[in-house]
Amino acid sequence: MTNANDVLSSIQSAFPGAVLDSKVESERRLWATIDSKKILDVCKHLTSKLNFDHYSGAAGVDWIARKEMEVVEIMASHGAHQVVAMLKVKTSRENPSVKSLTGLYWNANWYEREIWEMLGINFEGHPELYPLLLSDELVGVWPWRKDYKGYPDLTTGERAVQITTPEGYTEYHIPPTPAEVEAGTVVVERPKYPSFREREEREIKSDAEMIMHLGPQHAMVPGPFLLDVLVEGERVRKAFLDVGYIHKGIEKIMENRTWLQGITYTDRMCYVASLSNNECYCGAVEKILGLEVPLRAQYIRVILEELSRIQSHLIGTGEFLTLIAGVGYAPWQYMIIDREQIISLIESVTGARLTHTFVRFGGVRNDLPEGFADKCRKVLPYMKSRTEEFIELFEQDPIYHKRMDGVGIIRPDDAKRMGVSGPPLRATGVAYDMRKEDPILVYPELDFKVTTGTKGDSADRIDVRLREMLESIHIIEQCLDKIPEGPIKTDVKVPKKVPVGEAYYRVEDPRGEMGMYVISDGGDKPYRVKVRGPFYATFQTLTPLLEGVYIADAVAIAGSMDGCPSEADR
Amino acid sequence: MLKRKMIKNFSWPLKTATREIEITRLYPEVMMELPDAERGIHELDATICIGCGTCARVCPNSCIEMVHFKFGSPLKNKKMQFPQIDYGRCMFCGLCVDDCPVECLKMGKKVTMAGWEREDIVKRPDFLATKRFTANEVADLEAEAKRIAAEKAAAKKAAAGKEGASKKPAKEGAAAPKKKEAAPAAAKPKEGGAA
Repeated sequence: MTNANDVLSSIQSAFPGAVLDSKVESERRLWATIDSKKILDVCKHLTSKLNFDHYSGAAGVDWIARKEMEVVEIMASHGAHQVVAMLKVKTSRENPSVKSLTGLYWNANWYEREIWEMLGINFEGHPELYPLLLSDELVGVWPWRKDYKGYPDLTTGERAVQITTPEGYTEYHIPPTPAEVEAGTVVVERPKYPSFREREEREIKSDAEMIMHLGPQHAMVPGPFLLDVLVEGERVRKAFLDVGYIHKGIEKIMENRTWLQGITYTDRMCYVASLSNNECYCGAVEKILGLEVPLRAQYIRVILEELSRIQSHLIGTGEFLTLIAGVGYAPWQYMIIDREQIISLIESVTGARLTHTFVRFGGVRNDLPEGFADKCRKVLPYMKSRTEEFIELFEQDPIYHKRMDGVGIIRPDDAKRMGVSGPPLRATGVAYDMRKEDPILVYPELDFKVTTGTKGDSADRIDVRLREMLESIHIIEQCLDKIPEGPIKTDVKVPKKVPVGEAYYRVEDPRGEMGMYVISDGGDKPYRVKVRGPFYATFQTLTPLLEGVYIADAVAIAGSMDGCPSEADR
Repeated sequence: MLKRKMIKNFSWPLKTATREIEITRLYPEVMMELPDAERGIHELDATICIGCGTCARVCPNSCIEMVHFKFGSPLKNKKMQFPQIDYGRCMFCGLCVDDCPVECLKMGKKVTMAGWEREDIVKRPDFLATKRFTANEVADLEAEAKRIAAEKAAAKKAAAGKEGASKKPAKEGAAAPKKKEAAPAAAKPKEGGAA
């Protein structure tokens, strides 16, 4: 089995002098600063020789004190080994520019676009360096840099000047004051790029084609995002995705809140999976602090996260059914009724229905209440029978199969290349689960299988989700038997200031691989929090997946991904 | 016939306008039972609150403000500041409850807080304090506080007098501010009583 030391020595022997600085944190984590000229070669080497076939994401960090910027490439493997390599590339702060990895990894596209629009790091060789999350007014102020002074408040509208355009429309323009120009809070010179509409209309080749808007507000979408499809007759020829309608800037907000207050914001990224988000953030901070979580607290976390996974899958599947057949498809209401029982189970422990703020550094907030295990043992067999019923229902229904079989097929190789994770990846047959790959808490002691599909189409994705619920129920039952007595928080006093350090922590979110990269500079606030959301990666694959399908299938495919734009936009 | 119906239609609202009738019905008719851990509207135990302001500092949305409230313990804190919560901003995360050093702030099972005006949603300690001293108890406590303050002042005076007698020229500067401190301490309970 390859471990982090092997990877490091392999890079060093292949490219002498390329590794400027390195740290082997554990068998599974490698931190290395790579010479920016050789990053492409190193990545090629990792992918071809060392099975690093999963480009997991990239994070940009602004080190204002050192006058340099950093791009951290997160590399992992789909099951060949469990090393996560964090490769850092440094660049100067005056004219930041690094080499783009889009030539090697298709899914580097969005990650690099985000870093460009937020931090202003140019990526040499990137094919489409357009803003992704930000609106056009904000591009050019580089909001995630540490010296960003804040955008002037334009919401009042008192300063707006009315302009009549040549086409006869009325538009409002807000001229910047000299003071703002001097302070650097408004963009004076905006980078030039074609707008989203222009890019779209460029693709129209004949009169038979037209653009259809699905969203931002549409019954189909679970949150606001714009999916424009270029259709020729009934077929989708090309799809365009515009995200960022609920970009909340959570990563930036968390830099301005204390470590403890940050937990509340992780809830709001995706409220159906808030416990996994809590776990991810707290786990990363615990890693920096070196805290041990008591055994009972670990079990409580596992129980609640699995319960949370069940309710997330229930609502995901239910929503999907409303998408493919209007609200007429019956299981939606049954799923919501069943979900209510799970939610009240979680509520009886955490005190909240969706935004839990439950996990703490080195423990949990509350202990399990009296009689929780009995209640659980009553609900879980019921859930099990219901889930089996759902699976049978889906299997038997010929209309459902006619509608869904072979729709939105992802092949395993493509899924790996595109960086999909979670149920959409497992439906293709790749057994890739963070609970097995990068085990946390007490997962290694528990017995469970990684459910996989065979075909990788929409029906398979739903099937994998439903069967995963059965596994979750199995996990919870084991935990209830095994859970020991004891404290629920560490005896060590958690300090207000976290020591200097960095950590990357991964959990299995209901939607896939969730990772958080947390940096501390020794203060009472995080220096940088990077969220590698699972749906961000899945979202990116929608555009190639929709090419050539029927319009009606576009909705089914997008729905079967169990989307959460709120988490993708952050 | 039609006329009679019309009159009936008009008379019905006139009749019911003066009486209290059921306009909105609760659905489900019985409210669901909330668990003990529920994080609803806060409950403040004003008898033990020390007015430290930890809750205000830990709040991520800074919705807690410390304000004056008269039914607290005059023995413990002379400034008597208590949390006032703006529920327009509160996200019920419960960090204020966790960080309270004397565990006087709790979150209860009450969850409805509809009001007619925007100001209704900012809840003052009068509303939050489920447990507080009655007016009589406050008066007693104030009297006791006054007595203690007077004793202290007397003791200080005596001490200052002694010190002054022994080291008159050197300590005069240091003793004078002490007297000033003692005087407002004695006066403060009076102010509280007046308020």
